[in-house]
Amino acid sequence: MFDKMTLQVLANHARAAAENMAHTLHRTAHSAFVKETQDFTLQLLDHGGDTFAVPTELGATWYPGLTYGRAIDMIDDYRPGDVGFTNDPYSGFVATHAPDTHLWKPVFAGDDIVAWTGGHIHNTDMGGAVPASLSRSLTEIHQEGVRFPPMKLVNEGQFDQQILRIMSTNVRKPDLNMGDIKALVGALGTGERKVHAMIERFGKAGFLQGVAALKEQAEAQARAILRDIPDGDYVFADYADEDSDEANPVRLKLTLKIRDDAAVLDFTGSDPQLASSLNVPSGGDPRHTILLVGVYYVLYTLNPQILLNTGLTQPFTCITPEGSVLNPVSPAAVGMRSLTCARLRSVIFGAFAQALPERMPAAPAGNNCILNVMTRDERTQRTVIAAVNPVVGGGGGMPHRDGTNGSGADAAYLKNTPIEITETEVPVEFVKYGLAQDTGGAGRWRGGLATELAVKVFAPDSRITARNRDRSIFRPWGTQGGKAAGLADMVVNPGTSRERRMGSKDTAILQPGDVLQLRSAGGGGRGDPRAREPWRVALDVQRGYVSAEAALRDYGVALVDGQVDAAQTDALRAAMPAPSGAFFDYGPERELYERRWTDAAYDRLTEILATLPVHWRFFTKTEIFRRIEGSGATAVDAAFDATCESFPDLPRALVYRDAAE
Amino acid sequence: MDGNLPAEDWKIGVDIGGTFMDFCALEVRSGRIVSLKVLTTPEDPGAELGAGLDLLAERETLDPALISRFVHGTTVGINTIIQRKGAQLALFTNAGFEDVIELARLRMPDMYSLFCHRPEPLVPRDRIFGLPARMRVDGQRRDPPPEAVADAVAQARAAGAEGIVIALLHAWRDPGQEIAIRAQIEAIAPNLFVFTSAEVWPVIREYERSSTALLNGYVHPRVSGYLEALEARLALRNVPARAMLTKSNGGVMTASEGRRDCVSMLLSGTASGVTGAAWLARQAGESRILTLDIGGTSADFALIIDGEVQFGSDELVGEFPLHIPSVSVSSIGIGGGSIASVDAQGVLRVGPESAGSTPGPACYSRGGTRATVTDAMAVCGWLGHSEMAYGQLRMDVELARAAVQELADQLGRSAEETAQAILDIAVSEMFVEVEKLSSRAGVDLREFALMPFGGGGPMLGAFLARELGMPRVIASRRPGVVSALGGLVADLKGDFIRTVFAPLEAARLPDLQAQFQALSREGRDWLAAQGHNGAIDLRLSADMRYSGQSYEIEVAIAPDHLSDLPGFAQAFHETHARIYDFSDPDGQIEIVNLRLSAVGAGQKPELSEIAEVSTAALRHVPVYIGEWQEIALYDRASLPPGAQFAGPCIVSQEDTTFAIPAGAVAQVDDKLNIHLSLGE
Repeated sequence: MFDKMTLQVLANHARAAAENMAHTLHRTAHSAFVKETQDFTLQLLDHGGDTFAVPTELGATWYPGLTYGRAIDMIDDYRPGDVGFTNDPYSGFVATHAPDTHLWKPVFAGDDIVAWTGGHIHNTDMGGAVPASLSRSLTEIHQEGVRFPPMKLVNEGQFDQQILRIMSTNVRKPDLNMGDIKALVGALGTGERKVHAMIERFGKAGFLQGVAALKEQAEAQARAILRDIPDGDYVFADYADEDSDEANPVRLKLTLKIRDDAAVLDFTGSDPQLASSLNVPSGGDPRHTILLVGVYYVLYTLNPQILLNTGLTQPFTCITPEGSVLNPVSPAAVGMRSLTCARLRSVIFGAFAQALPERMPAAPAGNNCILNVMTRDERTQRTVIAAVNPVVGGGGGMPHRDGTNGSGADAAYLKNTPIEITETEVPVEFVKYGLAQDTGGAGRWRGGLATELAVKVFAPDSRITARNRDRSIFRPWGTQGGKAAGLADMVVNPGTSRERRMGSKDTAILQPGDVLQLRSAGGGGRGDPRAREPWRVALDVQRGYVSAEAALRDYGVALVDGQVDAAQTDALRAAMPAPSGAFFDYGPERELYERRWTDAAYDRLTEILATLPVHWRFFTKTEIFRRIEGSGATAVDAAFDATCESFPDLPRALVYRDAAE
Repeated sequence: MDGNLPAEDWKIGVDIGGTFMDFCALEVRSGRIVSLKVLTTPEDPGAELGAGLDLLAERETLDPALISRFVHGTTVGINTIIQRKGAQLALFTNAGFEDVIELARLRMPDMYSLFCHRPEPLVPRDRIFGLPARMRVDGQRRDPPPEAVADAVAQARAAGAEGIVIALLHAWRDPGQEIAIRAQIEAIAPNLFVFTSAEVWPVIREYERSSTALLNGYVHPRVSGYLEALEARLALRNVPARAMLTKSNGGVMTASEGRRDCVSMLLSGTASGVTGAAWLARQAGESRILTLDIGGTSADFALIIDGEVQFGSDELVGEFPLHIPSVSVSSIGIGGGSIASVDAQGVLRVGPESAGSTPGPACYSRGGTRATVTDAMAVCGWLGHSEMAYGQLRMDVELARAAVQELADQLGRSAEETAQAILDIAVSEMFVEVEKLSSRAGVDLREFALMPFGGGGPMLGAFLARELGMPRVIASRRPGVVSALGGLVADLKGDFIRTVFAPLEAARLPDLQAQFQALSREGRDWLAAQGHNGAIDLRLSADMRYSGQSYEIEVAIAPDHLSDLPGFAQAFHETHARIYDFSDPDGQIEIVNLRLSAVGAGQKPELSEIAEVSTAALRHVPVYIGEWQEIALYDRASLPPGAQFAGPCIVSQEDTTFAIPAGAVAQVDDKLNIHLSLGE
């Protein structure tokens, strides 16, 4: 048994090893994806392949609970100096889309493998139908690039040249892939050396017991948090704007069941797997890290001392029905799962917000949109493809302060590029980059403001993509009387005769002189806006975060020359209707949508679809959406009946009737 | 400049920290160095100076009228930021870009927390004024109408602004637009001070440039007032030397320069510590050093590679990035005052809470009751056997024991076991930070020696070195006053930059040469303005990258590279390969910035410490190292050159205590440095 008193010493050595790997990769990698966007992770894995330490300074936040065991077991006979790898989302469920290439390396002590070092990089391109391998419109995994099931990339220190040649032949930027993969192999070697140093420091037995103790500590910390949450079932659903080019919403539904120090996350009632690349390949693993990212945020927020490792996942059990958007079966496309993952996180936040109303914030903006441009540089006569900036929104109102403006909460890992650098390298001109007034949800604590960015282009047929755009139909929600936030938006030439509103589209083609304006959603408000101190509202107006009209309308605060008119404010507030008492405010769009698509109606829809063979589900969803009239579960049944009539081959008779009996 | 002074003149370095003002004085004639600490007087910053000079006069017969060099490191700037007591500023920027300061670079450090947030900006949104002005990337300008500027000035005044910072897009390319607006402001409102972003640091990247200019404006009134008072105090005592300040870049400048170039001195204390350590290392014949400075609330680390201090331009001041070249120092919030606690699962932790200098560790008897790292040292017996900090601190080991016992009871362990665990954990926290530093720099610490300094560095330095696998530790004669010493040995140094952002190609060379000439002129003028009339060293470098990379590396450039394209390119490829382990000889290269450091070297002191060896009785004291044992306690002043001894033992001296673990072998060199070999 490892001495718990000094467990922090081992935890620090493990963290140092992980940070060391991250710095080595960051220092030696080639691509902007790794160096600037920091779309990579590194892990120290125990002998079974479970993560026991991750870096916290560099990289993305998704994989402290990742387990490599399944992928590791798909290769036999590891030797010192070997490195295994895979990017196949359907082999071992380690990689979650094809650009993510995961590598792992055994650490031997004598003849035994006592640990592994692992990590992933997001390759700029893995081949397939579109540059960068990612498009929402893709419908099967085979369009999303070349896939390698788990195999050895390095044999006893020697790269497998055949694999490298296959990869180089199939991808668009082979030099970047090779450079980054070699840097990652170097980082795994650094980790291996550091683990050897730990074994020397703590002894082999001490190391093995210590690693187990680190996982137990994280689990104990997570269970301690759960024990403080009242037992109960907390139900929450949220929507992504569009499920595919069909443009119907995607619903994610969660029933969070807290029982003592354990929790079940039942995602039954979520959409079927989609005929787009928005699927999240969890493989049905009840503790898959990609399902639990929102949980890590909640746990860390409640106890910033928690150890980030697989132990955190142990008290949780996820239920994701096979053939659903959170557990698709091959060959469903998965490239743009990050959009769905943002919504998955907000569903988890919503369930915990009910379970711990005093300690959780309102919804963050939840659209981690990255703006890219392809245009021609008239100075050099070359085509330029460049990332312009992330356009993300604010955090939700917190229990003790306003939501962070312009970014925050689960988007805080993203970094922007200086305007002066972009304008020097890319032939675009910024017209605006800043915060958008009145976009944070009103509340006792206001939601963080949205970011607004406007750029002008100078060459014909300049193409804009705004990857991961969402929240232009369904608002980030407010809680406990706080209001939902402002919607995301994309407009070409705003305020001119050539204005084009782009709705929830994520692409646009621009002509010389056109200005594209992109706005994120804001963060939701928390608590009754009437309880916000009038001086804070006045300060918000003075700072331009809130308009005087919104101060009057949303907060009941009257200002005269910027100063609060106390008497008038009291009167206004007394006359304002009290909040409905509903825990959440979703905004008018969702309320309108749910008049037809009530919770019961959508439950009915997903029940029906779950009875169908997987390849019929999305088709049938779309057809039901086309046919539905009225509202509620009966309307869904009627629309389904009509669909069955139109498509006699739909295997309803067999399955659905059986299920119904 | 000190030509007419008598031969027995003194040079003085003075550095101020959280608790003490440190003095290090060199008698030039004899080479004798004396040092001193006096308690700070936060209620009247600068008053300590008089107390220190009085003590030096009394004890060392130092006549202030014979001070030929006076170098000061002060925390007045950084405290202004940390305590948020700076100027009410207005920021004039481009309309549409008022939020650049608040958005910063988006990414936040505590990124797993839903409560993560950025610091409150130094200038609130309602004092940021967007002018209808824009410079395009090709230099085309749209200037604001005069009424717009006048209107913004009126609003800024109405909002209570004391000064204005102008930061406009692409001012790195052409400062003219900012200068024109400054002229308009000065005409309308001569009582407001004005800084432009390009005059403070004319580098590409709007947030970084604006933020640096804001820091400068924010601390300007306080720093300026402090320096004015300092010069008056010195004049009152007839100190003939011109007051100099240590800078974040490890050099010095005149105090009058510092009144306007305030950002340059924000990190002066940490920087001069590293400068001092680098100089001591050279004296001790070491070229690769990890410095460790442990104070009450934090531990600072820096690398010295091949005798050279390392520089970076992304140091943090309080919560804000400072983008001028600064001595690269990593910091972690673990120090002698860090508080230990036990979590719900029975795991012991150290920090991030700190008892700071007030109330301080329990054993300081100043009201602290919670166990700190220093208390753990006391409980284990490493501290508490002699006076500390030149007799200004007294240690009560029983208070330390009581504080640690509380945790021990929660853990069901003995006080000494708990204290030992606190030390192990504190060391492991520092281990993480140093491992990150070495991996960022790509160096192998086994080739380095650790040089601890500050009041706490020598207490934990050898333990940290052992954890890091570092074979050697060097403790200089006066680790407690290394920052003050750094001021004594630092050179005049000014940094200058031009963003050029151009491909490296033959056609650009004439322009680069012209830029270099302009930078050189600036550098020479600057040195002249500091009163320098000796040799001038102009160091040229360029920030370069492969086309398409998102950040650049600094490459040292020889002047003839400006007419030798292949040599210029080769210098970059080699530097890239050294830092990143690869280079791309066919890749297209871009030059982002040209940099120049103008250095005016001063005369360096000669150390002659040997005269001061005294004799003192060797004692033995009980120390807990897994068990209680009697170990030797040496008085530092009695250790002569050539002395050899083995750990475990303690070397105690007036400004610090050096804890030497078992297995270590110590040897004193002829400059009285203690060299520790930790073996394998």
